[in-house]
Amino acid sequence: MSAVTAPFRTPGGAGRSTVLRLGGYSLRLRHRTLAAVLGSLAVLVAVALWSAATGSTPIGIERVWNAVIGEGTKGDEFIVWTLRLPRIATGLAVGACMGLAGALFQNLTRNALGSPDILGLTQGATSGALVAIIVTGASLQVTTVFAALGALGTGLFIWALTRGGDPSGYRLVLVGIGTAAILAGVNGYLLTRTTIIDAFRAVYWLTGDLSGRDWSQARAVGLVLLAGAVAVVALSRGLDALRLGEASATGLGVPVGAVRVAALVTASVLTAGAVAVAGPLAFVALAAPHIAARLTGSSRSFLCAAICGALIVTAADAVAVAGIGDRQLPTGVVTGVVGGAYLIWLLIAHRKKGAMS
Amino acid sequence: MTDSPLAVRDATIGYGRIAISEDLTVDIPEGEFTVILGPNACGKSTLLKALARMLKPSAGQVLLDGRDIHSQPTRAVARRLGLLPQSPVAPDGITVADLVARGRYPHQGLLRQWSREDERVVAEAMAATDIEDLGSRGVDELSGGQRQRVWIAMVLAQQTPLLLLDEPTTFLDITHQIEVLDLCAKLHREGRTLVAVLHDLNQAARYATHLIAMREGAIVAEGAPAEIVTADMVEEVFDLRCRIIDDPETGTPLVIPKAGAPVPA
Ligand SMILES: Nc1ncnc2c1ncn2[C@@H]1O[C@H](COP(=O)(O)OP(=O)(O)O)[C@@H](O)[C@H]1O
Ligand SMILES: [Mg+2]
Repeated sequence: MSAVTAPFRTPGGAGRSTVLRLGGYSLRLRHRTLAAVLGSLAVLVAVALWSAATGSTPIGIERVWNAVIGEGTKGDEFIVWTLRLPRIATGLAVGACMGLAGALFQNLTRNALGSPDILGLTQGATSGALVAIIVTGASLQVTTVFAALGALGTGLFIWALTRGGDPSGYRLVLVGIGTAAILAGVNGYLLTRTTIIDAFRAVYWLTGDLSGRDWSQARAVGLVLLAGAVAVVALSRGLDALRLGEASATGLGVPVGAVRVAALVTASVLTAGAVAVAGPLAFVALAAPHIAARLTGSSRSFLCAAICGALIVTAADAVAVAGIGDRQLPTGVVTGVVGGAYLIWLLIAHRKKGAMS
Repeated sequence: MTDSPLAVRDATIGYGRIAISEDLTVDIPEGEFTVILGPNACGKSTLLKALARMLKPSAGQVLLDGRDIHSQPTRAVARRLGLLPQSPVAPDGITVADLVARGRYPHQGLLRQWSREDERVVAEAMAATDIEDLGSRGVDELSGGQRQRVWIAMVLAQQTPLLLLDEPTTFLDITHQIEVLDLCAKLHREGRTLVAVLHDLNQAARYATHLIAMREGAIVAEGAPAEIVTADMVEEVFDLRCRIIDDPETGTPLVIPKAGAPVPA
C-alpha cells in the first residue's frame, strides 16, 4: 500500500509537496509543479485539437474526432491523417525537444540566456543545411541530415574547447557566443555562393517552418525526443545537485564531468533533431524554460519546459496556418515575434531577483 | 600501509601542468580534528581538493579506507566523506530546509526521493546546527554565521564519518567564527573525523587535535599543537617572529607576534 504522508512543508523555494511512499520507494511531488504540468498539458491538448479542427478548411472538433477513430469521410480522413496530424505531431515533438534542450543549456551554463541560439548550435545546423542546399540542391531529407550534423558538430566543437579548463558556465557561454559569431559569418558567406533560387529556399529554411511535414519526420523527431527524455530523466538529479556548484556537487557524489558531457551531448542531439526537421524556430528553446520556471516557481522541471516548448510551437503553428489575410506564414516568423515579445516583457516586468531560481 | 581513513601517498597535485605539491604524503588520523594551516597560496585548498577527489593527482594516490579514492564509486565515497567548499553556491531563492535536504543526495535515487530516514536525518542536522527555526527562510536572507551553519547542516545530512571544511570561518566576525569552531569541536567530540583549513593560527592551536603546517606545497610540521607550535615553526612557516605563551583560557599554545615582527629579508 502506498502511504500518503502529511505534506512536507518547505515554504518559499520548494513550496508544499506530498510524498508518496511504497516500500523502499518514495516520490516527492511538488504541488505547484504538478499543477503547472497538468495545466499546461491541458492547454496544449486544447490548442492541438483546435489546430486540427481549424486551418485552411475548418472542419470542427466532431469531424476531427470521427476521422481519428476511423468513422469520418474519405476527405476528412485525408485532411486529418495526412495533412494535419503529422504536422501537429511534428510540431509537438520539435517544441518539446527545443524546450528540453533550452532547459539543459540553461542548467549547464547557469545562465538564463543559455540556449542553442546563443551558443551557436542553431547556427551550426544552419551551416549544415546551407551546405546541403548549395551542394546537393537539397531535398528536405538531405537538408535534414546535414542540419543535424551541423548542430552535432557544433556541440562537439564547444565541448572540445571547454573541456579540461575551467568548466564554469561562463566559459561555455563565451565559447558558444564566439562559435555562433563565426558560424553566422560562414552562413553569410555560404548564402552569397548560391543561386537566387537556392538562396530563397535557404532563407525560407532559415526562418523555420512546419508546412508539409509528414509522418516520417514526426517519427524521426519523436524518436529523438524519446531518447533525449530518457537521458534527461537519468541526468536530472545530477544537474540539480550541480546547481550548488561544482565543488559541492562533487562532495555529494555527482560525477560532475560525466554529467556535464552527457547533458551537452543530449542537448545537442535534441537541438539537432528539432532544427533539422523544422528549421531554427526562433526563441522556442530560450522562452520555454523561462515560462516553465515562472509556472512552476523553480527551474527544476524539465517536464514542464518540454510541455511549454510543445505549446509554443503548436500555438505558433496554428497562428501561422491562419496567417495574415489568406497568406500562411512560416512558423518561425510567429515564434520569433511571440517569443521575442515575451522575452522583452519578461525583462521589463520581472527584473526582480530570483526569477530564474 | 596505514590505518588512517584518508591518506595521500607520494602524490603530485596541481592544475594542468603546474604542480603545487610534489611527492606529498599525508595521513589524516582517525577521530581527530585535523587543521591544515600555512600562508596564503601555499596549497592548503589544493590539498583539501585532492582529499575530496576534486583534483586527481598526476602521480601517486589518495587513499580512502586504504583504496584509491578515484577507483571507488562517487556515490559510495560521498557516503564516507562530506565536503564544505570554500565558497559554496546556493541557488537563488532556495530555502534553508531545501538546501539542507540536498545533503541527502547520495542516499537518494530516482525512485527514492524522500524517505522517512531522509526526513529524520535532515531534522537532526538542523537541530545539531541550531537552525530548526530557519527552515522556511531563504538562504540569501541569512547572516553569514547562520548561512555557514546551514551549509554545515547540509554536509551533516550527508551522514559521513569524515568531514572536510575549507576555511569555514573566513568572512565571519569573531563571534560567528567561534560559534562555527565550537560546532566543529562538538562534531569532533561526537566521533567524526574532521579536516579543516583555518587561517587563524591561534584558533587552529586551540581547536585542532592534530595540526598540519604547510609551506610552498610541502608539509613543514605535523602533530599535536602543544608539540609542534613553537616560535621556530611559526617563523619557518609564516616568516613571522613571535613568542609562544600558554593560552590563559585553554592552556593551548598562543602565538604572540613580536613588535616590528617580519623577518628581515
Ligand atoms: N583552479 C586553479 N587553477 C590554477 N591554479 C590554481 C587554481 N587554484 C589555485 N591555484 C594556485 O595554486 C596555488 C595554491 O592555491 P591554494 O591551494 O588555493 O592556496 P591556499 O593555501 O591559499 O588555499 C596558488 O598559487 C594558486 O594560485
Ligand atoms: Mg584556500
